[in-house]
Amino acid sequence: MKKFAAAGLIITLLGALMAGCSSGDKSSGNAAEGASSAGAAEPTTYPLKTDEKLSYWGEINGNLVGVKASHDEIPFFQKWQEKTGVKLEFTAPPSGQVKEAFNVMLASGDLPDMLEYNFIGDFPGGPEKAISDGYIIKLNDLIDKYAPNLKKYLQEHPDIDKMVKTDNGSYYVFPFIRGDEYLRVFQGPVIRKDWLDDLGLPVPETIDEWTTTLRAFKEKKGAAAPFSVVSKPRFFNESGNGAFIGAFGVNRGFYQEGGAVKFGPAEPGFKDYLKLFHDWYAEGLIDKNIATADTKAVDGNIASGATGATVGNAGGGIGKWQPLVEANDPKAVLVAAPYPVLKKGDKPKFGQMNQAYASEGTVAVTTAAKDPALAVRMLDYGYSEEGHMFFNFGEEGVSYTMEDGYPKFTDLLMNNPDKLAPAQAISLYARSSYNGPFVQDKRYAEQFFALQTQRDAVEIWKNTDAAKYNLPNITPTPEESSEYATIMNDINTLVDEMTIKIILGSEPVDKFDDYVAKMKSLGLDRAIEIQTAALQRYNSR
Amino acid sequence: MGKRQKLRSRLIRDFKLNKYLYLMMVPVIAYYLVFFYGPMYGALIAFKDYSPMKGILGSDWVGLKHFEDFFGSFYFLRVLKNTILISLYTLLFEFPAPILLALLINEVRRKKFKRVVQTITYMPYFISLVVICGIITDFTNADGLLNRLFVFLGYDGQAMLQKPELFRPIYVLSEIWQRIGWESIIYIAALMSIDLEQYEAARMDGASRLKQMIYITLPGLLPTIMIMFILRMGNLLNVGFEKIILLYNPVTYETADVISSFVYRKGLLEFGWSYSSAVGLFNSVINLVLLITANTLSRRATQNSLW
Repeated sequence: MKKFAAAGLIITLLGALMAGCSSGDKSSGNAAEGASSAGAAEPTTYPLKTDEKLSYWGEINGNLVGVKASHDEIPFFQKWQEKTGVKLEFTAPPSGQVKEAFNVMLASGDLPDMLEYNFIGDFPGGPEKAISDGYIIKLNDLIDKYAPNLKKYLQEHPDIDKMVKTDNGSYYVFPFIRGDEYLRVFQGPVIRKDWLDDLGLPVPETIDEWTTTLRAFKEKKGAAAPFSVVSKPRFFNESGNGAFIGAFGVNRGFYQEGGAVKFGPAEPGFKDYLKLFHDWYAEGLIDKNIATADTKAVDGNIASGATGATVGNAGGGIGKWQPLVEANDPKAVLVAAPYPVLKKGDKPKFGQMNQAYASEGTVAVTTAAKDPALAVRMLDYGYSEEGHMFFNFGEEGVSYTMEDGYPKFTDLLMNNPDKLAPAQAISLYARSSYNGPFVQDKRYAEQFFALQTQRDAVEIWKNTDAAKYNLPNITPTPEESSEYATIMNDINTLVDEMTIKIILGSEPVDKFDDYVAKMKSLGLDRAIEIQTAALQRYNSR
Repeated sequence: MGKRQKLRSRLIRDFKLNKYLYLMMVPVIAYYLVFFYGPMYGALIAFKDYSPMKGILGSDWVGLKHFEDFFGSFYFLRVLKNTILISLYTLLFEFPAPILLALLINEVRRKKFKRVVQTITYMPYFISLVVICGIITDFTNADGLLNRLFVFLGYDGQAMLQKPELFRPIYVLSEIWQRIGWESIIYIAALMSIDLEQYEAARMDGASRLKQMIYITLPGLLPTIMIMFILRMGNLLNVGFEKIILLYNPVTYETADVISSFVYRKGLLEFGWSYSSAVGLFNSVINLVLLITANTLSRRATQNSLW
């Protein structure tokens, strides 16, 4: 606490000092904008001719942790500067502490020119607040003048244009767009197919079949933790998207149904879900350490055969685990299972399905930017034809070759001589396997999902009604946001606590109704009201 | 009037006499002003809606709003209770442990053995907290080392960090394990200064080893113990949030969530700078009160005090 307080004091002091400086920067930024607007008419040709160096704050992709220590060592980021002609100075937050580091940076008031961050998911109050608080700038005019490629894309895709704006119509970032529906589903239940075959069982579809299957895994296959999921940072992390919960018609957050916004954990379906998982846990069908299970623990369980079913990604899940299980048991095969339902033949109400505009990996221009126009022209590169190929596949001749008009990843990526996994090697040369300011290309995934089981997985998981029930990227207004944050902070703590306590059996299932009453007393109705208003504003954009 | 004049002339004379000594004090005073008292004005943000872009002075005043938010929070009582309980248990069990260890080590006659014991006990202090917590998590897993031991002894194995009632014991015990050796060093040093003749005299009078410990060693150690105790009181509400955050999970919130971890979740992750500094200020005030109380009580009872 002492350290924390001291750090706080230092930060506040720095903040005071920097506040003075940054207001000076703002005016110079505006001046630069005015000056260069004279030459706005000419189309951008890359590389740009400039001597200016821009600063850039962003996380290094998790795949590269332990491979490369900084942006400067990653070929993609070196090439990006070469191609656009703009020199960049990178700062990266420590991996896994992005939110904290971002927070401290903001408090210091010492902003870089560009920020790569999730302004909808991780910025309390959302993008409109980030603009009104004076951290980032509204990009509408700048995009009109200096970002012809992005502008063209948004004009051609009005549905996406609606997503990347705020309610007030402000553009605030250079967005990451999943260019194909195929790229929007990448997570779901995963199960050991070889065990199912040994036991003569089908891939489970209903909750009852799952119970039978897990029981057989435990009794006949000796699985110590038949079902295990990562619980960090939140309990049952990957289940939050609707795996298993979805069978009961709810998810763990807000969703829309019949024009109304609902909060899953306060609906009756959630109680049935808790009851099922409570029974499974009591019977030993769920990992005994489920509350503390992190990625490392789940990986270990799957590799050793203690776990036969989980929820994971096609790339970072099946792709990562398949070699691990094979090492222990050459016959082992992991396949995707459909999102479970209660009655056979039903379509699951929820499942993982991201929006075409995922709010992560987006880049904003800050109020401290020395030359916002230059930053915008530089960022627009990702949406040009040349930039599209570069962001998705890297450099021709190095990371991909054109074969009959199809960009094929080279062995440098798919069979890396340094024994890097494809996910890691791709991240060195391109950004298609994660995110960034560009439009993602389906052709990357067709190769990235090297195994047939991975490609099948997307088709299997796709079959849900999530698109209908999920909320779009809505945001409360800056005025509502702190109230909403306070309410949901308390409610989410309560939900996390309730879920795990009931499942582990330290509270009876019947306590559920008390919990719902408590959520109401914490202001759930007001939170729903705020979400409803935000949804209405979104729909009328 | 006359008195004040006298004081002034005395001061001036003293200053003239020792002007270089006074000059040497300047950097020290400046150091404290710049690095310790200067930043204190940052505590102002506890009473404002702080926005870095407006600066500390430019942000809007909100009075006691953040304090009210904290005291009115649904979790306030639970968090306060957990903080006090964890602190008290630590004080009760972890504070005496190094004293006991020092006394025991003092009784050991073999120098080599003494050194080995000391080295082994203070080693954990130098291991990074993240690693320590990793070890604790692994040991207390449903099939971790500790549970295997319990199963071997005929008890049921269970994931201990999933049991709210076990969180405080795990926290306090691991705290002892981490710090016992390191903290005993100061007591061992104090033991060295006890006059050996006292022991000789006691032995002549036929006092046993235990009697010697009770009537000579302990009283000799008392001033050190009291000073350490007072210092500890000044930190009573400062439960290290790093360790809590690394060990807790929603199931143990009800016993593990303390003020600092609550503030971490609410303040740092939700950008509530003002809120966290309001809580930090509240925490510091309580600590200050405890420190002064402990110091006064100790001075009256044992004549040992910090000031």
